[in-house]
Amino acid sequence: MPILTKRAVSAAAVLAGCLFLSTPVAQAGEDIWPTLKQQTFGDRAIQAEDGMVVLEIPGTAEDAALVPLTVRVPPQVTQNLKSLTLFIDKNPDPKVATLTFGPAAGKGGERSFSTRVRIEDFSHVRAVLETEDGSLHMASKFVAAAGGCGAMQAKDPDTEAVDLGKTLVKVFPPALEQSPIWSAQVMIKHPNANGMQLDINTANFIPARFVKEMIVERGGELVFKMESTFSISTNPNFRFTFGRGPDNSLDVAITDTDEARFAAKAGPSGS
Amino acid sequence: MKKVEPKPASLQHPISRHAFLRAALALAVSPFLRYVPAEAADEVEISEVAPGIFVHQGRYELQSPQNRGDMANASFVVGTDAVAVIDTLGSAIAGRELRSAIRAVTDKPIRYVINTHMHPDHVFGNAAFKEDNPAFVGHYKLARGLATRADRYLAINKEMLGEAAFAGIEIIVPTLAVETSLRLDLGGRTLVLETQQTAHTDNDLTVTDTATDTLFLGDLLFSVHVPTLDGSITGWLALLEELGERKAARVVPGHGPQAMVLPEALAPEQRYLSAIAADVRKLIKEGKTLEDATKIAGFSERDAWKLFDNYHVRNVSAAFAELEWE
Repeated sequence: MPILTKRAVSAAAVLAGCLFLSTPVAQAGEDIWPTLKQQTFGDRAIQAEDGMVVLEIPGTAEDAALVPLTVRVPPQVTQNLKSLTLFIDKNPDPKVATLTFGPAAGKGGERSFSTRVRIEDFSHVRAVLETEDGSLHMASKFVAAAGGCGAMQAKDPDTEAVDLGKTLVKVFPPALEQSPIWSAQVMIKHPNANGMQLDINTANFIPARFVKEMIVERGGELVFKMESTFSISTNPNFRFTFGRGPDNSLDVAITDTDEARFAAKAGPSGS
Repeated sequence: MKKVEPKPASLQHPISRHAFLRAALALAVSPFLRYVPAEAADEVEISEVAPGIFVHQGRYELQSPQNRGDMANASFVVGTDAVAVIDTLGSAIAGRELRSAIRAVTDKPIRYVINTHMHPDHVFGNAAFKEDNPAFVGHYKLARGLATRADRYLAINKEMLGEAAFAGIEIIVPTLAVETSLRLDLGGRTLVLETQQTAHTDNDLTVTDTATDTLFLGDLLFSVHVPTLDGSITGWLALLEELGERKAARVVPGHGPQAMVLPEALAPEQRYLSAIAADVRKLIKEGKTLEDATKIAGFSERDAWKLFDNYHVRNVSAAFAELEWE
């Protein structure tokens, strides 16, 4: 798969960039989006900024290792959703996450997905939504941020290592219980190490270890399956919507790159 | 002679370097003098806040080509045998100016360069003291903290300081690491160094001079300059409670006036951090997001601090990411 090959190459290349002070100027000329687009979507047309999908992210990131990002699909979009892919063009691995939606993703109101990301360099951030009819829709924004990938977000690595894999799920019932769209949150205690931080004691890089897959189900039906990379910040945190069902408890199953598996469950009353 | 800005009454007549040297020849080094080097506008100003305790007050600014990374307090303590430097400003150039200021006061060997924590505005002047071959002293976690951030710190400072002010900056980690506490004998006075729990950062170190009962708090204490959170908000608030119980003749903050008094000195910072913690906890309880919090939490403190707009949102983000796991 070309993305995987490219991933290895670009991770190595940008690792070097991280170490030797890549400057925004040095990379400003390259536009890698056409390549990314081709690799991910082939020759399919993408409607840019057509209002089907909205991306919210600060124009200037205060902390490049912890940038809040929200994707909204406005309520007037009534189709089922097939997939959502997030990109940060200038990150070592530009593909942040791909969500493939299932029958429990729901419709009939505003749908949304939020997380927090690392941004390595001044970069375009993109959300590409695929709807039921197979059409692609993109919202993008340019973000001024630097140093998110090399930045160690762990304020205190010793305490951060405690409870690795601890997962909390919260379901937030809407104001009216019969509302078709509900929301929930998943928090995972995990360094999401990107392999770019030096361990002073060994003079080696701390090996990459990050959440690569998360499956969210409501009463046995798929809400979404997410494939993700280390562009997601330390202690991955997700807020998302799902469709109301007879049983609104969620099952979350997570796998990281060490093949460690974590699971959690929660109902509307909390955990 | 260079004019100086108005200053507190406790700090008496400014004097020129020549005047000072004449005074020194007469062995009349009295406390509470402000030394103003007359030769160059760029030299750092220092005040003697207690006998043998000299403090330079950094500017309330972000690093820039103009301030050369001179934006944190830096101090030195003179004993009968040796000198210890406590923090070295934010560039090799500013560090050299600090060194010149020390040399204008004493010829005693600079045996220790102590860093109160890993932030560039406190450690990037270390290189200026290499020729003295001192022990570089810090919290045992300082080296790790600095190493994991070195590339980013260098890149950001190169950009903000510009080539000229960035020249000569090196990452120098402690050659003498403090596990819990350490005593350094300067002759006639002893410095007691104590590692602290994760608060401002995970590598905060405090220094007490036994001769004058002066407590150097590094960035555990901010005054005027908005505090910056790079450790643990709960840890910091807990530590401030403990520090409030301590007795000291004076404390030297990492950012703020040269000397302050306990426990009043801590109150504004406690109020600021408590406001953030209370607001963020409330928002988390209401199911609000980090993004929501960055627009609301702690904004009641906005008018109380300089550089609020530069650091507050980051502080709230860090607090949120910590407190949401409670």
